[in-house]
Amino acid sequence: MKLKLVDISYKRILYFALLILLTLNVFDSAAQQRFPKPEFETGHTQPPTLTPEPRAELLEIIDVGVLILSLSLITWFILKKRSRKGVFWMSIFSIVYFGFYREGCVCSVGSLQNITLALFLPEYKIPVTVIAFFVIPLIYTLFFGRTFCAGICPLGAIQDIFVIKPYSLKSWANSLLGLFPYIYLGLAVLYAATATDFIVCRYDPFIGIFRFNGTFFMLVIGGIFLLTSIFIARPYCRFFCPYGVLLNIVSRFSGKHMTITPTECIQCKLCENSCPFDAIQKPVLVNVLDNRRTTVKRFIQLSLIIPLLIFLGGWTGSRFHENLASVNPKVRLANVLLEENNEINEDTQVEIDAFKSSGNTEGKLYSEAASIVKDFYTGGWILGGFLGLVFGLTLAGLSRFQYRTDYTPNKGTCLSCARCMDYCPVRPGKETEFTID
Amino acid sequence: MENNEKYLSKNEQFWQRIVWIAGAFSFIICVLIIVNYAQINRLDPINTEVINKLVERLNQNPEDNELREEIREMDLLVRKAYFTNQWQIRTGGYMLLIGVAIAIIGLQVIITNRKKNPQISDTRDQDLLQKQKITRRWVSLGGTLVVTTALAFAYLSHQSLENRFEIAAEGEPQEIEQQNISTEETVSESIDEDVADDLPPEQTQVVADNQNDSVTESTILKEEELESSVVTTSSEPATTSGEDSFTNFRGPGGNGISTQKNIPENWNGETGENIAWKVAIPLRGFNSPIIWGNKVFLSGAEELRREVYCLNRNSGEFIWTAKVENVPGSPVKGPEVANYTGYAAPTMATDGKRVFAIFSNGDITALDMDGNQIWARNLGAPVNHYGHSSSLMVYNDKVIVQYDQKNLAQILALSVNNGETVWSKTRDVKISWASPVIVNTGNRMGIILAAEPFVISYDPDTGNELWRLDCIYGEVGPSVAYADGIVFSVNDYSKLAAIKIGDTPEILWESEEYLSDIPSPVATDKYLFLATSYGVIVCYDAKKGTILWEHEIDNTIYASPMIVEDKVYLVDKQGIMYIFRVDKEYIPVAQPELGEKIVCTPAFAEGKIYLRGYDHLYCIGK
Amino acid sequence: MSKAGENNRLDRRKFINKTVRYSLAIGVCGVGAVLAGKASKGELVWQLDPAKCVQCGRCATNCVLTPSAVKCIHVYDMCGYCDLCSGYFRVNTKDLTTGAENQLCPTSAIERKFIEDPYFEYHIDEDLCIGCGKCVKGCASFGNGSLQLQVNHSLCVNCNQCSIARDCPAEAFSRVPADKAYSFKGFNRDELI
Repeated sequence: MKLKLVDISYKRILYFALLILLTLNVFDSAAQQRFPKPEFETGHTQPPTLTPEPRAELLEIIDVGVLILSLSLITWFILKKRSRKGVFWMSIFSIVYFGFYREGCVCSVGSLQNITLALFLPEYKIPVTVIAFFVIPLIYTLFFGRTFCAGICPLGAIQDIFVIKPYSLKSWANSLLGLFPYIYLGLAVLYAATATDFIVCRYDPFIGIFRFNGTFFMLVIGGIFLLTSIFIARPYCRFFCPYGVLLNIVSRFSGKHMTITPTECIQCKLCENSCPFDAIQKPVLVNVLDNRRTTVKRFIQLSLIIPLLIFLGGWTGSRFHENLASVNPKVRLANVLLEENNEINEDTQVEIDAFKSSGNTEGKLYSEAASIVKDFYTGGWILGGFLGLVFGLTLAGLSRFQYRTDYTPNKGTCLSCARCMDYCPVRPGKETEFTID
Repeated sequence: MENNEKYLSKNEQFWQRIVWIAGAFSFIICVLIIVNYAQINRLDPINTEVINKLVERLNQNPEDNELREEIREMDLLVRKAYFTNQWQIRTGGYMLLIGVAIAIIGLQVIITNRKKNPQISDTRDQDLLQKQKITRRWVSLGGTLVVTTALAFAYLSHQSLENRFEIAAEGEPQEIEQQNISTEETVSESIDEDVADDLPPEQTQVVADNQNDSVTESTILKEEELESSVVTTSSEPATTSGEDSFTNFRGPGGNGISTQKNIPENWNGETGENIAWKVAIPLRGFNSPIIWGNKVFLSGAEELRREVYCLNRNSGEFIWTAKVENVPGSPVKGPEVANYTGYAAPTMATDGKRVFAIFSNGDITALDMDGNQIWARNLGAPVNHYGHSSSLMVYNDKVIVQYDQKNLAQILALSVNNGETVWSKTRDVKISWASPVIVNTGNRMGIILAAEPFVISYDPDTGNELWRLDCIYGEVGPSVAYADGIVFSVNDYSKLAAIKIGDTPEILWESEEYLSDIPSPVATDKYLFLATSYGVIVCYDAKKGTILWEHEIDNTIYASPMIVEDKVYLVDKQGIMYIFRVDKEYIPVAQPELGEKIVCTPAFAEGKIYLRGYDHLYCIGK
Repeated sequence: MSKAGENNRLDRRKFINKTVRYSLAIGVCGVGAVLAGKASKGELVWQLDPAKCVQCGRCATNCVLTPSAVKCIHVYDMCGYCDLCSGYFRVNTKDLTTGAENQLCPTSAIERKFIEDPYFEYHIDEDLCIGCGKCVKGCASFGNGSLQLQVNHSLCVNCNQCSIARDCPAEAFSRVPADKAYSFKGFNRDELI
């Protein structure tokens, strides 16, 4: 029994009945079209369907070119010119170009997820520009230190100009908070590898600011990060950025890292508190070396428990895998469908309806969800093991030190912002002019 | 030098002022944006419930011009507010950017111009080893915290998801297979019994054999035999004889032919002449009543209320009212339906032990004869712009559901015992509003469904497709009619097709003269009766397709014609029943009026007619 | 301990550093090269498949942009120019006028223009369209389905991970080659041109 708009469309029915009789052949051949396209007697021409073209491909290539050029330029400013001003203006350029003009996408920080997904999911098509944005900063960092972080990354640059009155953090706080990026990186890789989500992009705090658009929540978070940056310099770069972890590791092996002094350190201590990121290593005095034996012993002990920590971490991760997996939309949907007494709100209802009308069977969904949960179990082991390793290495690293006479930047955490250089009284070729009593 | 310093401090004062002003400006803008944001959330134009409610009210009183003006004004107001708000936020964003940029420039200028005295810490540095020790402690503490939190969460919410999913995944198809096996056995048994009651022994043999697909010769049955072999859909006619029963939409098999006798021909709704009783039904529904024994069942629903009613067939008293609630998976929001379809368009069905009802939101339920719920489930809210309206049908121990919705057209067979899917088939057809017809098509039972572009027949036991024909288009409302090996399918904007089914179904004849979009046709071996919704009754020669007669009435017809003995009963929307002979001429028998609007097809039992108007259920007869 | 020993150690460290550096460089470039080998040839852009779309309304709310970059695009070639347009009018509309009480579109973004008896043309004002898909649903259920939701590429910022794609219940979003940036249901543009 069907009831239809008969009262209203009576005329129309007659009209179309006639029309169908007239155009029966057309109707048969194009049975999908319920109402045939009219032929206008008044000679009316139909307007075209507008389909604006996407951004030209050439511009994407130009983006890569701009990246390479600006990276080269800022590296030159830092290493050759030793100019903080140059770095500052490059930051402004980057905020304007990569930030406001390109609206913060694609950025190197997010690209690591595309790379992960492409490695784990062979059918995923990764754009070449994304690969370029991932590889180029890494290579530059490998040879010249984190010049990318200094002022090319728009996320870093926008925080950097907010650095007004930085306070130095206690070294334990720095180390402890410095572990968070590893957790964030681990989660980002796990969720990207399981094709669940790109969490780094989802929780990118500054992209909303660059776009003048975004969810209220993310804009507020971005504002908080920027305001924090006035007192605690670059909080996102130091305590969140997952790409920073990679750059940190790579930078430790960098060939020509920037130095505080152009020639030789005279140990004037002037630069000691100049770094807003607490990345200057002070000289290690000889009297510390007296305790060398106990230190070495502790180092060996701590190194030995690393495997144990890896196992503990892995085990914990594997226990935690269901919580991790419940972020996955398929797992969530399967869970909702399986638990019939679940409270269903309108949002999940939309998903259930869409699923039911998609023609996929529940059995297929369940088996897919089961295999995703299984992946998360493996992923949980790996993530936990990785974090165990990171904690172990950090602990072991905290038990060793190098004999150092000079003030040097910590090659891992130094962001090459070139602030410290201005504090160094030594000028190239003029070192003899300046002496200290 | 002094001059320079003075200049510097003056300069600094200037910049300080600028920073203060810019900072205050940015703060104010920031607050304004947040306030604006809070407003925009309230002003979501997509979900202006107020306007929607007003429009609904207007639909009920279309003449209310004041209300119309009110809607227009409010609509303009909401849209204006929405776009102005967006403009404000965007402009505010730019102003905030400028403010913050100026403040930052000022601050940067101040700190670069300020004399920087490098700080040299006087206090002796903490011992490096001491520092490392403290850091180690903190890192260990942090690590322990992370591990304990993770474990605590893991154990608190442990669900062994993987296992459960795997079991569920494996469970699904296996269950269906087992079900299939068991039902096949019971079906063949019960079919044997059923048929044995009705048919001579040889016939039984043929039908039973055909069930096993072993007989190839086609047996053409005589008309009487066919009539009697139209399936009585109950498998267990236990307590009551099927004769007093009318178990589903359009009678046995859904084919529009009732086996009842001594049905009244005269009544008058206004004077109450020949009306046994008349009862108001609490919730509206455009489904027809069904009958088992001395009980008559029907359903009614609103957007969020769904009820099944059971009345005493002889007295019209309510025996029970069952609310259909807490159905697992039922959507929180009611579906959007056209008000001429309503929320309870599909007619119920019964197997004598249970009654089944389906509603516009996809809820289907089985109740026992005392109104207790046996099972209930949701089939997924149908995507249907008028509202779901296909009626239910019971075949042996299965409820057949035609579920042709927009994105996924399906036919499902649910177990009468627990509602689980015994079989289901995805249909490559468009959305439809027709109901299934189950008939014995000569040598086997077949479900026949119509939806653009196919008329398809399914095996009711396994769901296997038996045949299909590309011959129907548009939004199919009428169900098919069947008689003597011919299926008649019709829809508006399409054609009327008589399909001769055999090994290869073929179109016997076609016509486009009169097409129906709501009432289903009904056929005998000689005649096909068709009612169009715009009020023309037509009789075709069932074999040749020539029009034998046509009769125009002035009213709209939504209900389907029914054949009882040698008469056709057809009720129009005004409540006038046209009773005429099954004959090659239009021979009216009577034309009684009920005086209430009617869109439902009547049900017949033991010399009585049960007829549902918009608000009342009538029992006609002495 | 001599200066020579110290120097030796420094040299060794330098050597290790160098080895690690170059192996890392080779590693990173290698990964880049391997991925570049199977990377997409051209640029990719986000687009939704109208055949899968269920018009849930999330396109309007979940885009990073407000209003959304997803808009209703009118494929005029498919349009029947109906008087009673089910994409334009609410379901129970009785009088076919442009009154606000009759319009389905919440932002009144569809303009209805009389062409000749009985044809009307419908034009979508993209500045007003918020991509809620109400008209699309209406047109698909009763009309020809000429109104379709599409990502408008002059607006889309082509996020690395489209936030609508993530929440689309029908999984209708995917990356498509930039030279085939639009996909319409039941209509192939190339065939006409």
